[in-house]
Amino acid sequence: MVKRDPARLTIALPKGALYEESARVLRAAGIDVPDDPGRKLTVDTSDGSRVLFLRPTDVPAYVEFGAADCGIVGADVLWETERSVCELADLGFGACRLVVAARRKDRYHEGAQLPTFLRIATKFEKSAEAFFAERDLPVQIVKLHGSVELSPLVGLADMIVDLVATGTTLREHDLVVVSEIGASTARFVVNPVRFRAKYAAITALLARLREPLGV
Amino acid sequence: MKLPPGTRDWLPAELRRKRAVESELLAVFERWNYAEVQTPCFERFDALEAGLGDDVASRLFLFADKTGTQIALRPEMTTPVARLVATRMRDATLPLRLSYVAAAYRYEDPQEGRMREMTQAGLELIGAESLDADAESLFTAIEALDALGLGDTLFDINHAAIVDGVLAGLELDEEAIGHAKTLISGRNIVELRSALRGTGDPAAIDAIVELALTRGREDVLATARRLCHTDAGLAGVERLRDVLARARELGHGERINVDFSLLRDISYYTGFIFEGFASEVGFALCGGGRYDSLLPRFGFHSGAVGWSLFVERILIALERRHSTRFGAAPAIDVLVSGSDLIAARERAAGRIVRIDFDRRGEEELLDEARAQHIPRVVIAQDGSVREFAVTW
Repeated sequence: MVKRDPARLTIALPKGALYEESARVLRAAGIDVPDDPGRKLTVDTSDGSRVLFLRPTDVPAYVEFGAADCGIVGADVLWETERSVCELADLGFGACRLVVAARRKDRYHEGAQLPTFLRIATKFEKSAEAFFAERDLPVQIVKLHGSVELSPLVGLADMIVDLVATGTTLREHDLVVVSEIGASTARFVVNPVRFRAKYAAITALLARLREPLGV
Repeated sequence: MKLPPGTRDWLPAELRRKRAVESELLAVFERWNYAEVQTPCFERFDALEAGLGDDVASRLFLFADKTGTQIALRPEMTTPVARLVATRMRDATLPLRLSYVAAAYRYEDPQEGRMREMTQAGLELIGAESLDADAESLFTAIEALDALGLGDTLFDINHAAIVDGVLAGLELDEEAIGHAKTLISGRNIVELRSALRGTGDPAAIDAIVELALTRGREDVLATARRLCHTDAGLAGVERLRDVLARARELGHGERINVDFSLLRDISYYTGFIFEGFASEVGFALCGGGRYDSLLPRFGFHSGAVGWSLFVERILIALERRHSTRFGAAPAIDVLVSGSDLIAARERAAGRIVRIDFDRRGEEELLDEARAQHIPRVVIAQDGSVREFAVTW
């Protein structure tokens, strides 16, 4: 592998829903990230940075273990992975909410009596577990990998824990929000040791990312 | 048969390297006149709990002996050494300089550099509250890492009273202060900002959040001085300035930064604190500081400062650097066949001797010596002794 200037940053970016905005804020900060990574895994940008294109849920691990110095990732992913990374800035975009939802006709959102033992279907196992444990509600979490909104309709689960951006998906399946677990946006995250080792480069990038946010 | 999670075996080459690192450290400690001590691997739980506070106490390996007394494996050495000083060494002349190399145990999620059984090397300087003592703790750590060939390790320093002095400017209860410190220490700027919202003047909150991102040389002290609301905090800022000046005289100025978010996760620190980092390893290689409130918990009214180093993290850093500095296998001096007496004489002369069990023939023995780079072969057979010099 070619030896790179140690002051240069390796930045982890999430492919998918957050990519376009992530690329836009980095370009505004002077790092020429491509519009579309295509099938590429990494790109070396003209300012000397290296950008990694990752599955969103993998970004925290790359940053925690120092394979990337810093990265952009949704807060919802951070809640779920419990990786120790520093959250230096709320970038504001990619807003969505992690919610508990149920069928409208079950009327849980209007305070209807809950079953004594709740079955919850979700992709967000840890966040769901923590939410119900805090309320001392006995639940069984069923981990799913997609189409979570189907599960209450076919009797797999009483409720779901899922991300909601516009609410269209919930409405289409006649589901309603029972409770909000958290509001998520994209975060700029950094490896705690690299923050120190590459302080100048990281704080310079942080300042450029924060400039348009006015914070 | 499997090992319990978070533990490991040490094979000969690995252990040789570890021992070499440990003896290098002990040699540094000895040059600074620190004397090595040992304490039991397990202690009464109440003794450890007195020193450590809830966070570490919750990660102890805990069990009961046959009388029902709660026993725990020690999770670090500072508390056991404090107990030792407060009991059997309470009449010793101060300051006391003590060092250790010891296994410690914590119930962690095992990962590289964070095992459930780890080796800590460190020292404690007891009964000295001056700048000299703080400076000595930092300089011993720098020299220790230099001696290990990690001369580019960065050191960050801070003072525990500064963050308290800064947070004193906001309306926070004790729990909120604890939460804010956790967020500052993890540099979770996003949540810190929202936790502090509404607790004071927005400009003051902004300044505190910025302070958590601030790291640098002497120039950053002015910011802390401006934001600090307590005399103890201001004295802390001056202590940092003085330590930096002493470090500069020794030529360490480029390696030391003030980092106001550096708050170590053990609750006993009261003053100067520091950590050392290498970019190859995701955790601090070493760290420590002043803990004036710990010894009084054991009825010994004296201040102290100390630090410890994680030996396994040092080994990771050396491995990542492909360092061959430590742990080369010792060369065998002589291969002896057929005489216990000759072998004994060779050992008595301080040589490393390999003994041939099978009375093999000359050719075979010389082949082995060439292959293993053994410079001499002595063969005793039928009353005659033949010696060969071997080259390869």
